Amino acid sequence: MKTIQLTVNGKEMTLTVEADQRLLDVLRNNLKLTGTKEGCGEGECGACTVIMDGAIVNSCLVMAFQADGKSIQTIEALDSEDGSLHPIQQAFLEEGAVQCGFCTPGMVLSAKALLDKNPTPSKADIQEGISGNLCRCTGYHKIVEAVEKAADTMKEGGESHGTARRGTK
Amino acid sequence: MKKKGKGIGCTFYGTGYGNGFPDVSRSIAQLERDGSVTVYVGATEVGQGAKTVLSQIAAEVMALPLSGIHFVCENTDETPDAGTAAASRQTYNTGNAIKRTAELLLKEMKVTAARHWGVSTPGRISMDSGKLVHPENAAATLSYREVAMIKGQELLRVEDSFTAMTTRLDDETGQGNPYWPYTFNVYGVEVEVDTDTGKVSVVKAVCAQDVGRAVNPKLIEGQMDGGFAMGLGYALMEDVNLQQGHMKHDRYSNYLIPTAMDLPDLEKIIVEAPESTAPFGAKGIGEPVMLGVAPAILNAIYDAVGVRMTEIPVTPDRLLVALKQHEGKEGI
Repeated sequence: MKTIQLTVNGKEMTLTVEADQRLLDVLRNNLKLTGTKEGCGEGECGACTVIMDGAIVNSCLVMAFQADGKSIQTIEALDSEDGSLHPIQQAFLEEGAVQCGFCTPGMVLSAKALLDKNPTPSKADIQEGISGNLCRCTGYHKIVEAVEKAADTMKEGGESHGTARRGTK
Repeated sequence: MKKKGKGIGCTFYGTGYGNGFPDVSRSIAQLERDGSVTVYVGATEVGQGAKTVLSQIAAEVMALPLSGIHFVCENTDETPDAGTAAASRQTYNTGNAIKRTAELLLKEMKVTAARHWGVSTPGRISMDSGKLVHPENAAATLSYREVAMIKGQELLRVEDSFTAMTTRLDDETGQGNPYWPYTFNVYGVEVEVDTDTGKVSVVKAVCAQDVGRAVNPKLIEGQMDGGFAMGLGYALMEDVNLQQGHMKHDRYSNYLIPTAMDLPDLEKIIVEAPESTAPFGAKGIGEPVMLGVAPAILNAIYDAVGVRMTEIPVTPDRLLVALKQHEGKEGI
């Protein structure tokens, strides 16, 4: 057992975690943030992607104690109080970038981490940015188009609302 | 050295269970008191877009906006069986069932309206922007909501089904009607083969798919993109590595599938040739969009380096061995 302090989706919290718990387990089981999915459990598929201190990580490969002092964003960070969607989520819907949906939370977060760092990515930048996230359904084309569209929308609308609202890194 | 080549792959594919196997879809349609329609059907949405396309078919028959259709699927407690989400059969088979059920509901609504108006010819009642129109007096109309109100506490609810018309092949003659309908597809690809490493990259691709009628073009494009990616993985990467019945590549760290960086742009051509027995002419394309990819890629490899690969996936090690053997033959 170990006590850790971390920020999850803008909320600071102190948690007692088991030594063998992964960050993924803490998010899904302790915090009930089930938007984060477990796919392969070995760091290959990216379904469990979360943003840790601004960089994407596979939460199945991060031990819970390693998240001590970190700031974590999950897909739930993109929820807004008025129910409106984040521009990336909106673009995924409009472009038909979602089929079965299992990879979608991780895809959206990888896209967000990319756009937070590089608001005007090239197509190759986007392909590289989501290359750690496997998708069996879509063939990625509509996902790449959705990220391009989201980049355009966010450029017009100024700062990403997710980042502005939550004030995280 | 990098060598380029082009190849095409053409396929035709019979959708549905086929060979006379009972291929039945059932559905229920119910007129709600507010004039909207609820469709109950066992069809499963797995991301392919069944919910969307089947709702569209119901909306088209009922001349309602999509928001006027409530779609209840999957829950076996309240939906009749519509078969599996397999064999690329839901758009055609269940689409037909829903079309027939919605048409039956409409017929019952016209019977109700005819009784209300005291006319004996419900078949002559027409529809205009979501309203039933009196056969002799175009000014007299009934909205769906009004039809529901006439029925009072009794809800109009009908059930119908569709069965695909296939037969087993005759063992003696080989004759029969094993599938209905068929759908047609062609892929063209351009590959770049690195003869030093054996790596094959697909640099350009085009897919033309016969869909009968494109109920939802965006969803069809999504199926084409997905089928192309699966076909590319099947041709070049994905190897379960069966050894004595054991799948040795049973995880993503050794069973490789394409990432966003492995896929070139795909030009997508939707070919509409309505099928007379299909709902509004629409056929299923879930599996067909995958089939032509591997043959097209293998043909392109042959065009690039003159090697006819007969085993997939064409991994770099396999291609290097084949290239060496080919060089040996050419040397003689």
